[in-house]
Amino acid sequence: MGVTILTQFPTENRTGPQTIDVLSKRISALGASQQGQFLVDCETYTSAPQLGHQRIVHVLHNSEQPATVFSILESGTKTIPLATDGLFDLLMMKMSSFYTSKKQTKAESKGPRFEIGDFCVKLGTVTISSNFKGILVEVEYRPCVVPVMCWDLMKEFLQGFLGLSGPTNPPAYLQNRMQEIYSPLDTVHQYLEHFTMFRKMPGGVGMRP
Amino acid sequence: MSYNSSVNISVEAPIENQIQEITYDGTEIYQPPLTLSESLAKYAQKIDFSKTTEVDIKKEEAEEAKSDADNKDALQSSLWPWDSARNKLRSALQEVCVLADVLAIAKDKRYLILDSVQQEPLETKPMVQIYARKKALQGAANVLLTGAEKLKTSQNEAARNRATLDFHIELLRLRQNWRLKKVSNTIIGDLSYRTAGSKYLQTGTFEVTKAEDEEKPGSPPTSPLPAGSAPSKPASALRVSIPSELQGVAYIEVLCQKDQEDLCSANINLLGSGPPPSNPDMHWQQKLEAAQNVLFCKELFNQLAKEAVQLQAPVPHMVVGNQIMATVLPGIQLIIGLCHSTTGDKKQPNPPPAKSEHDHVLEHSLHQLLREVHHRNTHHPFPHPATGPLGPSKKRMMAGPMAADRYELLEMTKSETLLEQIVKQAQHFIMRMRTEYVLDTIAKEVKDPLISSHWNTLNSPTQSCVKINISTHGYDALCRTPLVIHVGEKSLKCICRDGKVMNMSYEPQELRDLIFCHINQHQILAVQALAKTMGWQALGNSNHLGTGSVEPLGNASSCLLSSPTGDRIIAVRCEPQAGTQVSVAHTPRTDFFPSRLVTEKKWEHLGGQFRDVRLEKMEGRNFLHKMELLMASLTSNS
Repeated sequence: MGVTILTQFPTENRTGPQTIDVLSKRISALGASQQGQFLVDCETYTSAPQLGHQRIVHVLHNSEQPATVFSILESGTKTIPLATDGLFDLLMMKMSSFYTSKKQTKAESKGPRFEIGDFCVKLGTVTISSNFKGILVEVEYRPCVVPVMCWDLMKEFLQGFLGLSGPTNPPAYLQNRMQEIYSPLDTVHQYLEHFTMFRKMPGGVGMRP
Repeated sequence: MSYNSSVNISVEAPIENQIQEITYDGTEIYQPPLTLSESLAKYAQKIDFSKTTEVDIKKEEAEEAKSDADNKDALQSSLWPWDSARNKLRSALQEVCVLADVLAIAKDKRYLILDSVQQEPLETKPMVQIYARKKALQGAANVLLTGAEKLKTSQNEAARNRATLDFHIELLRLRQNWRLKKVSNTIIGDLSYRTAGSKYLQTGTFEVTKAEDEEKPGSPPTSPLPAGSAPSKPASALRVSIPSELQGVAYIEVLCQKDQEDLCSANINLLGSGPPPSNPDMHWQQKLEAAQNVLFCKELFNQLAKEAVQLQAPVPHMVVGNQIMATVLPGIQLIIGLCHSTTGDKKQPNPPPAKSEHDHVLEHSLHQLLREVHHRNTHHPFPHPATGPLGPSKKRMMAGPMAADRYELLEMTKSETLLEQIVKQAQHFIMRMRTEYVLDTIAKEVKDPLISSHWNTLNSPTQSCVKINISTHGYDALCRTPLVIHVGEKSLKCICRDGKVMNMSYEPQELRDLIFCHINQHQILAVQALAKTMGWQALGNSNHLGTGSVEPLGNASSCLLSSPTGDRIIAVRCEPQAGTQVSVAHTPRTDFFPSRLVTEKKWEHLGGQFRDVRLEKMEGRNFLHKMELLMASLTSNS
């Protein structure tokens, strides 16, 4: 477990698979080897009106932590993150009368997963209800758990293969937490941020894969 | 005290008078109360003078004297009520008068003599008395004896009932320790370890029957049979019949042996050497325990055999008949055999060729490992959610909420099989033995620096630790070389004096070389430390000398020392093979003769030729002592 930085890669005028191809070639040229696939998905549930104040629960799965179900509850002012085991999915099914999901909001990011030394790179194609939305690049630096200590290194690495579109500042979510110990929940928060951004985007922007 | 606490009861006549008549209208007419004299007369009439006995004559007389006064005025008032009393008193007076006369005459002793009447002495024959007493005693004794007899027989009866006859009490005892259930008309028990977490398929059922046919018909209940009853009784009222494959005695034989010369000498006295004779003289408890042990051994062996076939070992494990052969280290096999001897062969001992030692420790470990598996099957770690699945380890349970990543989860799925674990333990056992052997032989071979090894008492089945101290006798405060060796499963890890860590394989020669290398280094270091205390100067040292003849193992180490004034130089060279060499150089030489080449004495300071010291000819207990003497002599010379 290490520090993970999630960043969006502009597709410009390429299609999704083309972009993934380009990035895969770049990272392979650096000496990375592909280690299977990865998948992060997010489903959003909203509370039934009779419960009063509306609350939103995001349930996320990350293939990097296959035994865990992450959920983030947004209730107006507070957000409550929770990491539970697989039974939480069944629990959500039981609560379908209180929390209903909108099928068309199901977001996921999946793609190849590379390992290069201490880094783990994931090139994800983001789809929201199977519409292509964009590309998310996740880089994890495993030996370190405090973001501030490895941010410069990671920035350099990211710019190394993303070029100018690499991030220049830490992700917004991490900026307040640079000194703290990084946990898998932080990765999930970053994904959720990006997913909400993609959802808010006008539907025409994303290209068909 | 008791007087105080006692209650006073006063007794008096009822105040009411007697009822004389009850009229028709219910009014009661009382008798007029008696006057004092009337009541006295009434009471006096009740006195029966003729009934008085000799004992209470005196009392009577006193009473008479008292009542005389009353009599006199009673006579005057009314004669009638006192008539009988007067008559009686008169006759009594007559008797008393006569008696007084007789006494007066007798007192004179002239006419009448009172003579004591000689009573007929009772003829008391002692023999008769003895017989009589004897008879009486016998009667009493008879009564007691019959009583005792009755008690004894009743007690015997009860004891016999309890010990043998009562099938139900036996059954109760059986039930306290074993699982039983009733199936139609039979009682079936279960001796398998399934309730303890075993998942072995073979059943361990046994049947419980009543053993009434084995009872001896003759043994009258009346005769107590004090001693003879005990040995014939242990045949209890219960009989347990155990399936034939669980009868007999079984154990797991574990041995480590070199090479595979006897690959096919599997034990022959195994299952099915004949119909197993049931052993009726065994108590059911022992019988069931033995059967349970057989079942346990079978499960263990079965599990090991399964693993041996499944495991992909570099040298494949072999399962031949009742033996599993696993290669522990090159040339060393671990043989696990299931020995199951059916009963009744106590005379022929099981292993006639004691080829190598049966390892009790490893056998015990095997048992322990399987028990652990059983325990894990039944004891699930707490807390587990009521809705969650049973079975995963605690670590796996926490993996979800703690967001364990895939590597950690992958690690969790790896578990060691029993065979792997026991092979590891066997490997460690052999490594430990080899290390011990190497250390002991070196300690025996090398006398000069003393080598002492301390084994840690705390160790695990797969890891132990030994601390080695190299020191010289008499100089142990000067220099000491400590080493720590961790003995693992297939490798040794040595932590040297300077913190260097050396990893070695299972070959004992490597350890041997390392220890010899350290002995040499110790000698060089010790000489330098000694030189310092003697005021000499260490000019230089090298642990791995590049010069000189090439050693087959390791390198020579050396050092150079100079005397306080600098005119003597000692060179020491330690080699693993050749031992130590010491040479001495004098600068300048004590005698100087100018030659054509060396014209002046100052050139002699450049250093002269080294000359070997024959250490073995020198005096001194050990190398350091010799060096001390050498340095001392060279110092004083200058």
